[in-house]
Amino acid sequence: MSLAPQSYQLSDYLEKLPGTTFRKLYQQPSTAFAIFRRMLPALAKVFVQALLYMPSPMLLSELDVWVRAEGKMQRDRALSILRSLHIIQITPPGKDKPQELQLTTNFKNSLRLALEGGGTHSSFGVPSTLPVDPRIDIAHLDNYARKKWEDILHYVVNSVPVHGEGGGAGSGAGGPKASVKDLLLAGRLVERRSDTRGGVGITQAGFTFLLQEAGAQVWTLLLLWLEAADHSKAQQGQQAAAAESKPDSIDMLSFLFMLASLELGRAYDTDALTETRRNMLPALVDFGLIYIPREDTRQYFPTRLATTLTSGASALRSVSSGFAAATTNTSGDTSSLGTTAADAPSSKGFIIIETNYRVYAYTSSPLQIAVLALFTQLNMRFAGMVTGRLTRDSIRRAIGFGITADQIISYLAAHAHEQMVRAAAATGRPVLPPTVVDQIRLWQLENERMRTTAGFLFKDFDTPDEYAALCSYAEEIGVLVWKSDRRKMFFASKMEQLRDYLKSRKKAE
Amino acid sequence: MVRAIRGVLIECEPAIKSIIVHLDSANNDIIIEDLDEQHLVVKENMVHVLKQKLEDRLKETYRPEEPLADSD
Repeated sequence: MSLAPQSYQLSDYLEKLPGTTFRKLYQQPSTAFAIFRRMLPALAKVFVQALLYMPSPMLLSELDVWVRAEGKMQRDRALSILRSLHIIQITPPGKDKPQELQLTTNFKNSLRLALEGGGTHSSFGVPSTLPVDPRIDIAHLDNYARKKWEDILHYVVNSVPVHGEGGGAGSGAGGPKASVKDLLLAGRLVERRSDTRGGVGITQAGFTFLLQEAGAQVWTLLLLWLEAADHSKAQQGQQAAAAESKPDSIDMLSFLFMLASLELGRAYDTDALTETRRNMLPALVDFGLIYIPREDTRQYFPTRLATTLTSGASALRSVSSGFAAATTNTSGDTSSLGTTAADAPSSKGFIIIETNYRVYAYTSSPLQIAVLALFTQLNMRFAGMVTGRLTRDSIRRAIGFGITADQIISYLAAHAHEQMVRAAAATGRPVLPPTVVDQIRLWQLENERMRTTAGFLFKDFDTPDEYAALCSYAEEIGVLVWKSDRRKMFFASKMEQLRDYLKSRKKAE
Repeated sequence: MVRAIRGVLIECEPAIKSIIVHLDSANNDIIIEDLDEQHLVVKENMVHVLKQKLEDRLKETYRPEEPLADSD
């Protein structure tokens, strides 16, 4: 599975939503299209495309003809994803009728509309007809988005307790808006602490956030924001005793999907938006996802942070693909095509690592130095360069913060200096010295005495058959972590679909 | 009737497992189910405490790092 981490978090959020929410979400062609484009593995896309213009439901058994026998696992996983996103409906197994499969109505209609065009849904944004200020070009938008996003990262980084001379130097002038700070606090990326300079301290989640690539960071923040909106809505609802479910966060989410389908560098019409969406604009401006000219608020411009929200790993450098790209010696110049604005300054590699664990970083950015100081023992600082060393203690400390060895390695690989990339390409070796990579992993291993997986223990089955059926279903949809046939118990990482399966099994009996 | 119990699955060496079992024996407030030699399910809210206790217990067995000769 090559799903980038940001889609993973988004899918976690989506999986928790009820079916009615999905029905509303899929009324928008842009949402259906974004989900199709971003969230589905290849096989699931093939199924959706085949089902899209089928006039009547298809027999589930016919699906077996499409998939080779050894691909049963992938087939079940694809179906399970499609089901959890409420894209397909499968009739429950009955004695007299075979199971049938079809796309859900709203998703089908919206995806058709998205592909064929037409309709008056204005779901892909309404371009502004007003003249556009020529100064607002793509470079301007990139600069703007980078500035906004770095302010947010600075705020998180500056809450790191300072070690030695390298860490956390300089404080971002101004920093993000108070609303953004509150959001970071509410999302527990930072927490209030009196012993640090800014009155806040970074949390474990905050460290993980810092080392994510920009696309994943944006989604993390946006999902925090959606959850915060749901939360405040629920509180208001209690006071007003209004039993209305939360249409706001649905509209917010589909607006984000719409932003992702817009064109960079183009002006869009603010007046064509619904009131909920207009209310979202100030916050999106604070995050740097859109730009609104001060003198003319009738236009808004999506920035690169917004337009790459749902594009694939090719457009956003994910941690894993960045690592793969760096280790397979792709030269650095491809990065300028696809990276986000916030990534752009750091995508020019600046780190040199030697086989003796010495690190030389050609940077004077306090943000990059502070991130480096999370897992490096920095020794000296010069104009435009810092030097340090990876040590057992520095890596152990980082792991204590909740950073993983893989995150460190991929960060180093993604930010390796051009020289290292070139030398590696010339000799056909990986960018990072293998000894260093192995040692970082070993340091993590010796620190991790146990592996933990959150989930659910299933036990006390009525019959061995029931155990066998549920256990093999769990294995097929990929949630089985541990099982004991002897003790008739198993451990699964998720339970929603298993519960549904049990229910439908009970009904069929 | 089948039951689903929320918890955290821990996978570790038998030696580590026996330490966890020993830590649990004081109050029986950690382990939900002892699965086999290398697996057990513990309460979600106790994982952090458990890691801390385990770290303390293992501290004496760590070799201190020999300082590398360095000429920065």
